[in-house]
Amino acid sequence: MNSILFLILRRMRVPLITLIVSYAVAILGFTLMPGTDGSGKPWSMSLFEAFYVVSYTATTIGFGEIPYAFSTAQRLWMTFSIYLTVIAWFYAIGKIISLAQDPGLRQAVTVLRFARAVRQLHEPYYIVCGYGGTGSLLVEALDRIGIRVVSLEISQDRINELELQDYQSPVPALCADARMPEVLLHAGIQQPLCKGIAALTDDDHANLAIAVAVKLINPDLPVLCRAENQETAANMASFGTEHIINPYELFGEHLAMEVHALGSYLLHEWLTGTPGDSLPSPACPPSGKWIVCGFGRFGKAVVRNLERNNMQTVIVEADPVLTGCEHCIVGSGAESRTLLEAGIKDAVGIVAGTDNDINNLSIAMTALEINPDLFVVIRKNKRYNAPLFEHFNADITMHPTDIIAHECLAHLISPMLAQFLTLARGQSNQWANELISAMVERVGETVPETWAVTLTGDHAPALINLLGHGKTVRLETLLRNPANRSEELPIVPLLLQREKDSILLPDASMQLMIDDRILFCGKPGAKSAQPLMLINRKVLSYVLDGMDMPDGLVWRWLTNRQTEKSRP
Amino acid sequence: MNLEKVVFGFFIVLAMTLNFGFFIGDMADPEFHHPYELFAAIVVNLIATVLKFGDRTQIGAIHLSTSLVADLQLITAAVVWASVSGMGNTVPAGIMVSIVSLSGGAFLANVTSVVLLIVETIMLRR
Repeated sequence: MNSILFLILRRMRVPLITLIVSYAVAILGFTLMPGTDGSGKPWSMSLFEAFYVVSYTATTIGFGEIPYAFSTAQRLWMTFSIYLTVIAWFYAIGKIISLAQDPGLRQAVTVLRFARAVRQLHEPYYIVCGYGGTGSLLVEALDRIGIRVVSLEISQDRINELELQDYQSPVPALCADARMPEVLLHAGIQQPLCKGIAALTDDDHANLAIAVAVKLINPDLPVLCRAENQETAANMASFGTEHIINPYELFGEHLAMEVHALGSYLLHEWLTGTPGDSLPSPACPPSGKWIVCGFGRFGKAVVRNLERNNMQTVIVEADPVLTGCEHCIVGSGAESRTLLEAGIKDAVGIVAGTDNDINNLSIAMTALEINPDLFVVIRKNKRYNAPLFEHFNADITMHPTDIIAHECLAHLISPMLAQFLTLARGQSNQWANELISAMVERVGETVPETWAVTLTGDHAPALINLLGHGKTVRLETLLRNPANRSEELPIVPLLLQREKDSILLPDASMQLMIDDRILFCGKPGAKSAQPLMLINRKVLSYVLDGMDMPDGLVWRWLTNRQTEKSRP
Repeated sequence: MNLEKVVFGFFIVLAMTLNFGFFIGDMADPEFHHPYELFAAIVVNLIATVLKFGDRTQIGAIHLSTSLVADLQLITAAVVWASVSGMGNTVPAGIMVSIVSLSGGAFLANVTSVVLLIVETIMLRR
């Protein structure tokens, strides 16, 4: 605020001095002009009377000739001072108005308002740079979980869109270039409540600049970065960026997961979805020969992952030299000749993965004409082509935005969730299917909330107190309903971390220890009910033993006497 | 030589000297304290205040605050004078004393301002 005030004051110097001088001249003149009072005696104004007259004249209010009718000399001076002071006033007012409309000043005000809104966030928050397709999805999902978000976006149109969105809690947003370190500082990367930053702009260099700035200013802040080029990703990794998300690489992995382990894939999608969404029924890609059109970043990732799962792939690429493709069929894939050459007749699936939406659609349509049983995976590049892709309705449409948003959520909700997903990928498909059916049974078919609980004095004082007294508390206690202990909450424990060990799907009869970290998923209501047991000793003892603890000195004394009496 | 500095110093010192001129003399006697002197002191003080606007340094802030104190005291003195002396009444000795003592306070603030100006100049060392 200070800098703006000083800016205004500095610009107001000249108009204010003009105003003061013109007033002084007019006032002085009035006291010097000879006049007469009502009875014709000589009279001249006092300084105060002159100030009064000039005040109402300069502001164009004009009460008239007060207190007595003016003499000619006074009228002459009045004429002069009208032009002098009124012009000075208009000049000053004009200056003030033009100052208020000054774009630099308005920008300064917006930035200050934004910085203040960020400072006034009294709960942990994340910064999302870039409110594009990915950014808006991520902001919406985080908002729905109840995590506060601050957004930076370079285009005013997108900011307007954000302001029109109906979020649960306000999202402070600033239209600014996030590459500027000052903007990042305003967004609060140095605040203790800032828990992380996601650089999701569509420009790799901007993301890189954000990562560098954050790592220099606040090295402990976790950074999530979107990077489409391998070089940028390597560069980001070199200075310790925590999570680098390459949408093409990720999609390749997902596709491979879908092909060989549908259960694991579903689990992944389910736990990283926006809570409350229902899960779409998954497509099940067939095993066999695949044709991949376009051997760019996306195609390479798909081929690598398909080949890792022992699928046969045939590559169709228009420019084999540029893409570094050794065994491929030259052509765009949009004409049937190339596709036939690639053996479309006996293929099971086709991936249309060039960076041109229209080409991709054309490839898929031609291929389907030749072989209607093909499984079609299509890459969507531009947001505005979304209606075309909806109409085409491929088996899998690859949206980079969705994939990045899901991955970001997994990292932002809890580092434990990311770890769980990594561990889950190593398990068999069978295991994943069993877990899914167990979860559907307990938490329903919509996307559950996922949260981590740390058993420390800060987060679970009641439980720590009991554990400190040597009492045994089992995991099942935390799954009970604090309002009615015979009921179970719709919660599934996913992962328990004790020191360096990680236990997948811990058993309900497991004994809890101090400093355990547990990852749960469950319905939103259950998430808000559970902390009651961790914090409130009375609730915990009720859930454990079914006993209502006596409260107050008298009741405690009475209960103690009762138990003593009943003992012998 | 910097013209801006000349103007700045001129107004600050003039504000102090005019203030002193009004303040000096028998406190209760209106003969020693002419209204035009007070008027000139107020005008020059206001201009000095505006000149001090927009300086972000610590010393600039103190400069501005001393000026604001002087303005406040002088304007209060003028308001007291105007409210008592309406329509040609003479000012009672008791009121005159309080007007002059108000301007005395403003004078102290102006002296502080000048001292600051000198300190600033000496610290510049060039």
